[in-house]
Amino acid sequence: MRVLVLRAVILIAGLAAWEIGARMANPLLYVPPSAVVPALGRLLALESYPDLPSSLLLTLREIVVAYALAIAAGVGVGAVLGLNRFVGRAYGPIVAALYAVPAVVWYPSLMLFFGLDAASKIAFGFLLGFFPITLAVLAGIRQVNPHMIAVARAFGARPAVVFAKVMVPAMLFTLVGGLRTGLALSVIGVIVGEILGSKAGMGALINHAYGLFRTSDYVALVCVTLVLIVGSDAAASLIERRAQRWTE
Amino acid sequence: MRAGERVRVLALQAASVLALLAAWEGVARAGWVDPLFVPAPSAVAGAFGRIGRSALAGLGDTLAKTAIAYALSVVLGVSGGIALGSVRALREVLNPFVVALYGMPKILVLPWIVLLLGFGTAPAVLYGTIHGFFPIVVLVAGGVRDVDRTLLGVARAFGATTWQLYWKVVLPAIVPTVLAGMRLGIVFCLLGVLIVEMFAGVRGMGHVLNSLANGFQAPELFAATALVSISSIVIVLGLDALNERLSHWRS
Repeated sequence: MRVLVLRAVILIAGLAAWEIGARMANPLLYVPPSAVVPALGRLLALESYPDLPSSLLLTLREIVVAYALAIAAGVGVGAVLGLNRFVGRAYGPIVAALYAVPAVVWYPSLMLFFGLDAASKIAFGFLLGFFPITLAVLAGIRQVNPHMIAVARAFGARPAVVFAKVMVPAMLFTLVGGLRTGLALSVIGVIVGEILGSKAGMGALINHAYGLFRTSDYVALVCVTLVLIVGSDAAASLIERRAQRWTE
Repeated sequence: MRAGERVRVLALQAASVLALLAAWEGVARAGWVDPLFVPAPSAVAGAFGRIGRSALAGLGDTLAKTAIAYALSVVLGVSGGIALGSVRALREVLNPFVVALYGMPKILVLPWIVLLLGFGTAPAVLYGTIHGFFPIVVLVAGGVRDVDRTLLGVARAFGATTWQLYWKVVLPAIVPTVLAGMRLGIVFCLLGVLIVEMFAGVRGMGHVLNSLANGFQAPELFAATALVSISSIVIVLGLDALNERLSHWRS
């Protein structure tokens, strides 16, 4: 209880300090909370940015496509690397080494190849989501008890059946964790791509507000984007918890 | 891994990379892909020479900023983590804020940071530090919290001062966590610096990559991308090797 009160006090004190400091220094640059609220109202009333719904929808669509591609490719590649020990030994380290590269270095090449439209954002969101999913599938397969596979095989299950009925349930926990990280990274990839260069979507609106020095609109747009990001993560954590209960 | 298998794995790795390069070269030569967007490996290799000096200067600039950001995030992250991990009240009150800031996509505050600090070194260092700081602080706080209570109790019973407690018991116990944090942090710091250079850079590798892409200089762009990727992999593998050696030395 005391902890909750202290947290609330810190939050309120922080907001108050921000408000006072911003007003004293430069309200345009530091955007006090009191300026954010009306800006948020104007944004949600579609006054400042009438194309907010279409931008949100575009960003959402890019995320969905990028994430779906990342799941398909990540599960496929992870399964191939995990199911064949030799292939895994050979290509696993290559995947891990590529994961050690800050992914943003690929973005200019993707932009050159796919252009400024949605495709380059989808490609970057896909790339970011692909690695954690692949590595989670790989780690998950390695932790499956080999005896269970041997028994299933002895009873004549085909490899696809073994994968779906024995391995997926056994590694569900790791898999779902990887899928959640993958979603978070796909979302970030799409938004980073939009902010680094785009013509439409939430990132483009943010860049527009920032470029015109409409700082309170910028903060309002950031708030809306945050809701999108936090919402997607909350949905993912709900699914994760359900999967957790199912495995227990 | 047996020696025979290791040789076979290495052979397969080398053969796959060579086959990929050869196929790519063949596809590019046959004109199946537009060389404007996907240049042949031979063209990329040639581009290394052309961009050599400017790319190396950019890389040096980026790595210098990353080094500063990394030093800051390790020092701040480890000390913050020790404070959060050892003071229970502090941890309970501040934890949700740290988690929220850690989870928040930092890209959203990037325009604001650039607005405040302008173009150049300062925003890159700050943004890189923010990226590296949070994973380190969270890991180290967890590591300190999980230090064996009996060790602390025994040390206290033998009359250790608080200073000795931290220096002789806590610090050695969290070395693996700190190393794991440092391993994670370096990639994040480099990522942060590169993003700022791409968004609002006038120098550095991110700026080089961006201007090559805007100029449709695909061979040079691919060469520069390869250069950053290889240096990043070398740094991470170096840290891994150091980690391994230290863990040998510890046990």
